[in-house]
Amino acid sequence: MNKQRSKDYRQRIDQALATPRLQEALHRFGDAYLLSRQKAFAGLDFEALRQEIGAMKDRTRDNRERYQAEFIRNAEAAGAIVYVARTAEDANRYIVGLATARGVKLVVKSKSMASEETHLNKALEAVGIQALETDLGEWIIQLAGQRPSHMVMPAIHMFKEEVAELFSKQTGRQESPEIAHLVKVARQQLRQGYLDADMGITGANLAVAETGGIALVTNEGNARLTSTLPKIHVALVGIDKLVPTLDDAEKVIRVLPRNATGQLLTSYVTWIRGAVPCGDADKELHIVLLDNGRNALAQSPECRDALRCIRCGACANVCPVYQTVGGHVFGHIYIGAIGIILTAFFHGLDNAAEIVRACIGCRACVAICPGNIDLENIILHLREVIGDEEGIGTAKTLVFRKVMRNRKLFHSLLRAGAMLQKPITRGERTIRHLPLFFSSLTEWRTLPAIAEKPLRDQWKNIPQRVENPRFKVALFGGCANDFLYPELGRDLIKVMNRLGVLVAYPEKQNCCGVPALYSGDRETALELAEQNIEALLEGNPDYVLTTCPTCTLALQRDFVEYLRDHPGWAERAARLAAITVDTSRFIDRVLGAADVFKGRALPEKVTYHDSCHLKRGAGVWREPRNLLAVSGRELVEMDHADRCCGFGGSYSFASHPDIAKNILADKLDDIRHSGASCVAMDCPGCLMQIRGGLEKQGTAIRAAHTIELLAEILD
Amino acid sequence: MTDTQRVRTFSEMATSVGARVTALQNISSVIDYLADHVGGALLLPEFFSATRWNLGFLLEQAGVDTIMDDFREKAARANSGLTGANFALADTGTLVLESTAEDIRLASTLPERHFVLLDPEKILADGRAAIPVLRALHRRDPRNYIAYITGPSRTADIERVLTIGVHGPVELHILLVPGLSSDCLEM
Repeated sequence: MNKQRSKDYRQRIDQALATPRLQEALHRFGDAYLLSRQKAFAGLDFEALRQEIGAMKDRTRDNRERYQAEFIRNAEAAGAIVYVARTAEDANRYIVGLATARGVKLVVKSKSMASEETHLNKALEAVGIQALETDLGEWIIQLAGQRPSHMVMPAIHMFKEEVAELFSKQTGRQESPEIAHLVKVARQQLRQGYLDADMGITGANLAVAETGGIALVTNEGNARLTSTLPKIHVALVGIDKLVPTLDDAEKVIRVLPRNATGQLLTSYVTWIRGAVPCGDADKELHIVLLDNGRNALAQSPECRDALRCIRCGACANVCPVYQTVGGHVFGHIYIGAIGIILTAFFHGLDNAAEIVRACIGCRACVAICPGNIDLENIILHLREVIGDEEGIGTAKTLVFRKVMRNRKLFHSLLRAGAMLQKPITRGERTIRHLPLFFSSLTEWRTLPAIAEKPLRDQWKNIPQRVENPRFKVALFGGCANDFLYPELGRDLIKVMNRLGVLVAYPEKQNCCGVPALYSGDRETALELAEQNIEALLEGNPDYVLTTCPTCTLALQRDFVEYLRDHPGWAERAARLAAITVDTSRFIDRVLGAADVFKGRALPEKVTYHDSCHLKRGAGVWREPRNLLAVSGRELVEMDHADRCCGFGGSYSFASHPDIAKNILADKLDDIRHSGASCVAMDCPGCLMQIRGGLEKQGTAIRAAHTIELLAEILD
Repeated sequence: MTDTQRVRTFSEMATSVGARVTALQNISSVIDYLADHVGGALLLPEFFSATRWNLGFLLEQAGVDTIMDDFREKAARANSGLTGANFALADTGTLVLESTAEDIRLASTLPERHFVLLDPEKILADGRAAIPVLRALHRRDPRNYIAYITGPSRTADIERVLTIGVHGPVELHILLVPGLSSDCLEM
């Protein structure tokens, strides 16, 4: 790993975390965004729309040469000059060459992420041509000498006072920090630019093969001026903006503003085809189609879905990491989840190597993506690639490859850990302080101690009372249930026995492999998948139950994916996936047994925290709520119930504890504001994080797994 | 959607994004409205309804300072611009202007006020319904500059506070006038 690079990255995180005002602004924006987005999609079926867009973009990608040729043919027939640029340098060379040849002194630009991607302004300025950004946000960051921190709102990280200062320098007057006034100043200052410029440069949101035209989706009106007033218009367009027909373009336009800013439509959608009139002559229109890694992306089976991106920026809007550190940390030129992927392909793996680890894996972006891109999966793949290339660190290699793959060794070490921790736990179940350099880990949350006796060692001594069982199930405990919270296993047995279900604990089960996978060690994950399939299918159970949603996803989804091409294993992985079910869902849906708990609980106020992988992975969120409500508890919803708690496994221990701590603080605020005296969840990881945070705060609010809350009301 | 529903939805949606929608009965009330609201010189480009109803003459007669040529030179002193619309989209309150002729673009981008004449008969349901018309315009003309306009120019680039009128018009006045033209291919 590159030490200097990591150090710089850490420094940027520290700086961002030291700017609470930025975090506050991004949080407020995130809330407002969700509200207006919800209104904008009222009456529309977002799932159907995004499936449609995803399918259309895939079809276009698979036939991209044909559509590109069709676009070029139609554009040229309408008088445009089309240049296909293989790289960023190639695109810049063409545009700078054109500007030089035409004697251009001043270029006006409307917002174009593609030109940020190629660093076009620098290339123009290098030959003495002034590039004037006219999008308000872009102009602000140009004056500040910065780069955009958001794809749609480039200056979202700046405050009106800073803008006023920048504008004052520009006008030579003291400009007051009132937003309406500042907007007026920009209008006045930039107006002459359009009239003086010899060239206008825009991007494009769409390039329509059917017509050879482009479409620009904007709000300010600067793209209309930029494409109208100067004699020369250059549109710099990523080849991923191609769509086959006007109907396809309309599909994108229907969703883009709604998902980007919660608008039904932006103020302007501009369709331009060919060399339109300009003054007394025709416009000189150049369309530069930019590849710069997009074809390589199309050829990567693991990553190519990213080409469905329509650049709405929503993946950042809902990202808890983005809301905590902003786009100058969580991004390179492109930001947020999609930014990680585009950076790897457009700007090289080295520029993506740090931010690829910044994703906490909560899948909030996956749920909101209008291209139906599984961003998390692609990010995990890139983590593997970078892990292979740079290594995942000696300590991790040792743990994953030498220890975890050897179940007996792994479990013996955990048991030894239970003994060794005694001076710290003083025999208690919770670690409140860790010594020396580990101390920062327990500054903001307590940690559970490793159980004296893991669930696997207690199992045979737990009596099961079921006479003719309806089902025989196997429990996949996962490391946390087994070694940190064995009591959850006892609770599960109690509940299941009561519902007529007999539970087995297959000895040979091992870690689900997700920690290795998330750290970029796929080989270990694969080995563990095989061990677990073997162990869990052995007793031929009716169902395999889980209490940890990350394990659920590993069993339901990941194993199938790893072993798809392994004869003999693929079928068994699929069989395991089909019988794996989360415990709450099993009780509520498979057994239909909610009524067994009816009215047994006191009417305590309980709020429910949705675990990322349970809601957005396994699709379970109604079931536990139903069980709690039927039991007689008063269910109150907290704000952002499905926002990540900041646990993220090794994310909160090793890679990004500072960010995790901030995300947890948000969650604890939401829990407190709900007024509940208990917060329920279905994930031992979330439990560790939230219980640890609540304990450290010393509040009386209790954190519990749903299975605990069900077990305690049965006699 | 029935015609009346479409008009109602269009008016509601356009109003909700900051446009001012006024239903007028005939050309003489259009001239009165403009005379009251232009607030200075008016850019009047050539378009079908303007020629048909001789708007340049009527506006000058009503005392409106009407600019009909050299927009690039004279736009700086114009307060407002007047255009027609080819058609409109009800569900978003959007006007569609076939603005390949540069003067239509200049009149609708440079001044602070933009007045648009729209025949309520030409309000389509939504963006999907617009596609056949877009396609017909692309077939008819060798080159196109087609503008969807939804409310006045806006930005939220400073602290995400919605602010109207950054580069384009600050005010968008939509005048619904029956009997102008029922053909979406003409303005």
